Amino acid sequence: MFGLSNPQRFMRFTGPLTPVLWTAAAVLLAVGTWLSFTVPADYQQGDTVRIMFVHVPAASLGLGAYAALGVSSFFALVFRHALADAAARAAALPGAAFTALALFTGSLWGQPMWGTWWVWDARLTSVLVLFLFYLGYMALRASIDDEQKGARAAAVLGLVGLINLPIVKFSVDWWNTLHQPASFLTPGASGLDPVYLPPFLTMLAAYGVLFAALWLTAIRTEIRRRRVLTLRARKALEA
Amino acid sequence: MLDLDMAPYAAFVWPAWGVSALVLAALTVRAVIASRKWKRELERLEKDQSATSDAAVSLRPQAAQSAIGPLK
Repeated sequence: MFGLSNPQRFMRFTGPLTPVLWTAAAVLLAVGTWLSFTVPADYQQGDTVRIMFVHVPAASLGLGAYAALGVSSFFALVFRHALADAAARAAALPGAAFTALALFTGSLWGQPMWGTWWVWDARLTSVLVLFLFYLGYMALRASIDDEQKGARAAAVLGLVGLINLPIVKFSVDWWNTLHQPASFLTPGASGLDPVYLPPFLTMLAAYGVLFAALWLTAIRTEIRRRRVLTLRARKALEA
Repeated sequence: MLDLDMAPYAAFVWPAWGVSALVLAALTVRAVIASRKWKRELERLEKDQSATSDAAVSLRPQAAQSAIGPLK
């Protein structure tokens, strides 16, 4: 595992893996979409139950991507490892996009079910804070001209944001919220009707594999970008 | 059986799916374009660099070339 921290070895290992992930994501998304529109409407929620198949995976990946960003930031700060920093940077944009999608689709689900687009309850607010952490991370990196200084400052922010992850996850248990508690990952039995499990799990896998493809591709791009900057600097010195 | 009649919730279901599809497509296109751009640029620079080092080697005096042995 740690052997992959060498950029050249990482590029060799992930070269053949990346197209496989892209293909798997496309197939899973196609199958998941088909399954999502073939299951019957819920007896209480009607067709809005189909929003769950894009909302929950987006929210899960918004959290997962931030965990990847935070852990990578830790390795970048402690070991000053360039690949860890590239991994943190590469997770930011897809993570922010997934979190924005979770907020948007949640709002569209909330209006017909709760009668409101938005409430300042613990779950919704903590997810909004998560989105703001993503924006802050990207803005901080972009606002400091010295890339290394920007990376270190952003890594500190990335680490601080990790505190928010358990708050998002357990907000529905710690406080009274309009948002329902976790219904799939409940100990014992899943609260989800078994008929919805195939589309739900397929879409969850599709989003997960898509994130892996996006992340690996972005890390590979970042490694190449840094190599280009090094070669350009060397060329400028020789000239 | 495929069910595309979302009434009376079509105004909520289709935007959720449509915007999700758009955002995922945009992320994919952006990642692929950036990947190709930097890959092309790196290949160009590495080609330039190897051409420059080849030219430098051919300009070495005969004595220096024989001193450093066969070139790879």
